[in-house]
Amino acid sequence: MPDLKFENVSITYRTSGRNDRGEVPAVKGISLDLPAGGTLGVAGESGSGKSTLAMSALRLLPKSAKLSGRVMMGDTDVAELSFGKLRAVRWAEASIVFQGAMHSLNPVRTVGWQILEALELHITDKWKTEKARKERVKELLATVDLPAKKADSFPHELSGGQKQRAMIAMALACEPDIIIADEPTTALDVIVQKQILDMINQLVTERGISLLMISHDLSVLATACERIAVMRNGELVEVGPSYQICTDPKEPYTQQLAAAFPVIGDPASRMKPVTRREQTPRDPNAQTFAKSDEVLLQARGLNVTYHTGGHSLRAVNNVSLDLHRGEIMALVGQSGSGKSTLARTLLGLQAADGGSAVTFAGKALPTKGKALKDFRKEVQLVLQDPSAALNPKLSVYESVAEGLRVQRYQGDERARVKAALEEAELIPAEKYFGAIPQELSGGQRQRVVIAGALAVQPQMLIADEPVASLDASVRGEILSLLLDLRKNLGLTALVITHDLGLAWNIADTVAVMYQGEIVEQGPTEEVLLNPQHAYTKRLLAAAPSIEEARA
Amino acid sequence: MSISNAPTTATPAGTASARQVVWQRRRAAFAGFCKEFSHHKAGMVGLIFLAVVIVAAALAPFIAPSRMLDVTQLLDSPRFAPPSWEHPLGTDHQGRELWVRMLWGAQVSLIVGFAATIMSMVIGTIMGIAAGHFTGWTGGLVMRIIDFFLVLPSLILAIVLSSVLSRGVLTIVIAIGLTSWAGTARVVRSQTLSVESRDYVERSRVLGAGHWHIIVKHLLPAVMPLVLANTTLTVGSAIISESTLSFLGLGDTTLQSWGTILKNAMDVSAATSGYWWYVLVPGIAIVLVVLAFTLVGRAVEQIVNPTLRSR
Repeated sequence: MPDLKFENVSITYRTSGRNDRGEVPAVKGISLDLPAGGTLGVAGESGSGKSTLAMSALRLLPKSAKLSGRVMMGDTDVAELSFGKLRAVRWAEASIVFQGAMHSLNPVRTVGWQILEALELHITDKWKTEKARKERVKELLATVDLPAKKADSFPHELSGGQKQRAMIAMALACEPDIIIADEPTTALDVIVQKQILDMINQLVTERGISLLMISHDLSVLATACERIAVMRNGELVEVGPSYQICTDPKEPYTQQLAAAFPVIGDPASRMKPVTRREQTPRDPNAQTFAKSDEVLLQARGLNVTYHTGGHSLRAVNNVSLDLHRGEIMALVGQSGSGKSTLARTLLGLQAADGGSAVTFAGKALPTKGKALKDFRKEVQLVLQDPSAALNPKLSVYESVAEGLRVQRYQGDERARVKAALEEAELIPAEKYFGAIPQELSGGQRQRVVIAGALAVQPQMLIADEPVASLDASVRGEILSLLLDLRKNLGLTALVITHDLGLAWNIADTVAVMYQGEIVEQGPTEEVLLNPQHAYTKRLLAAAPSIEEARA
Repeated sequence: MSISNAPTTATPAGTASARQVVWQRRRAAFAGFCKEFSHHKAGMVGLIFLAVVIVAAALAPFIAPSRMLDVTQLLDSPRFAPPSWEHPLGTDHQGRELWVRMLWGAQVSLIVGFAATIMSMVIGTIMGIAAGHFTGWTGGLVMRIIDFFLVLPSLILAIVLSSVLSRGVLTIVIAIGLTSWAGTARVVRSQTLSVESRDYVERSRVLGAGHWHIIVKHLLPAVMPLVLANTTLTVGSAIISESTLSFLGLGDTTLQSWGTILKNAMDVSAATSGYWWYVLVPGIAIVLVVLAFTLVGRAVEQIVNPTLRSR
């Protein structure tokens, strides 16, 4: 079994086109090694060069990339392999589980066919005949806990977790010695993530495969890897045993990464997301808002049914909810549990079934015309992916002013935009007026989205996974911003998330949603520390934690 | 930023400066576009060729005064003279210089090409956005109308239209414009559908935006690059359509156009009688101009759609 060794690897990308930035270094002089049968995690934020490094192991980089240094697989330098040899190495010796299984599977072929493809390209004595290959596919599906029947399914017929399993089965097909997993569980919810991680762990220990795993989440790496390397801006920050990196990091950057994901039940992180951001000085006489007793949004017996081609699917089932003014509520659940549908319904974007009663500030939710437009001023939405939520062609000023223009704001537009940007802590606001989204970082973009919502001076924000697509260091900043908005402006918020740590960080109350129903709700401490419903317990157990690495 | 502290003047002055920034960026983007286009060899060849043709067509009255086309004044010039130093492109069956006819014909061919394309693009963009943006009954209806025009044999419809309406350049423009927009509409619709599903349109809706705001602010700018690239490609086919209709004798016979020249050539059986220049000159001219438009169109397409690069 070969070792995988990176010796002083540097990779630069040559850029071209309208935004030519010349040569961009992605990886700078990294030396790492993965001994046969070992497991190594690479952590880092987006743009840290971790995927580029991993792809270089199989020479899968685009033509515009230039590599210096050596990538050794056993005794051979990957760069020196002829194309034919390289093809033999790819998949048979080292294989990759790509990021985002939904996009890496061919939508017009069955899963079984796609696994077979790898076997046909690398025929060995074990699967020489057609029949033996079919058997091998069955065997592989069994390894990843998928029923053999699924071989005839198309990717769209599988859930996210099942697709990821199929991807792993494909990676295992030719019995490789090394598996490179690039963010294998990102975009999966906690329960599925736990299943996938457990499965990878089991495979690694049973078969002695070496694993190189990439993730932005230290706790995920801690459960699967013996050692962790932390990367930042293409450079290696720290390498060490997982447990030490997670609990006793030497470098400040690693400390910050490790602290970004809170431990549920730890009083130090309750209502205090970890952030580098400095508290803005505020007038000591200013009013401080907190959760009040006044009910702002109330839902009673809310049902939402989707009708498609004769089938009907009940996405939200008999939900009753009370949201008080100044309250931050976290709506927690797996993907597909109906959280987003519920949020869209509360916003009036999705019609509820007859008999459902939703009232905002004592009045029923308007459904059309002027009343609906006025209601839009009261409740605003913050979406998951800020890069998608901003029109790439509009400047920050225009994006924030959009709501004011739509609502025919009578006052001073410029002053309102400036105030909104400052409330979202983009200071000085003037500096950002002319910027377009692609010139901003992920965290700044999310602030612009929040500023755009604040501009129309709403009473309530509904945030759909507001930090799920942001880097760990930005996560805390956005969360503490939400807390401050409540404190300073009295904003009510409903935060949708699959991340229980987030609820622990900022929410007053938690509602747990499962298959369209709210199975448990109450104050955060009660629900998270003393869960009553079996599903809540499962969710809590599935959250990856650093503690496990010790075992 | 002292302006922002004075509420009385803030709104106009404030938006003006923000608008200035926007304009600055647009100018920079346009300059960048021009720079990139100038590096595109095939596109530049097409553009320069077109510029020469357009300037020549515009200056036709000065280069070759209209009396050179007056048959009554050309009684002693030779008929069917082959290309020579005296008659660079030869003469036709009435002794007119072919190059003069080509020059005047370029005017009509280009005007019809551009006008019909603009008409087709305007209709195509509006219908495409409507079909993509509106859901349910309205969207379905618009889509059926597009489908109807898509399957209609456009040449036959154009023939019918130009024989029903009065003869003239305008009729030809309408005939071509009305029959060629459906393809554009489909392309625009699919782009609209993909933009429509982006989060920023949803965000806009939550802010209270109506159809008009979403269409003008978000959808139109997003489909515009596509429409522009499509435009240059359509001009070429519009010129061919114009030639076809004129060739079939449906154009204005009192005006010169490349299609009319081809029709005259056929009327006197130029190809079989050995008057090759009479057929080849207009034919090659059409091919070259259409090719030039295609080259420019492809270049624009590649610049606005970076994924096509290095293909």
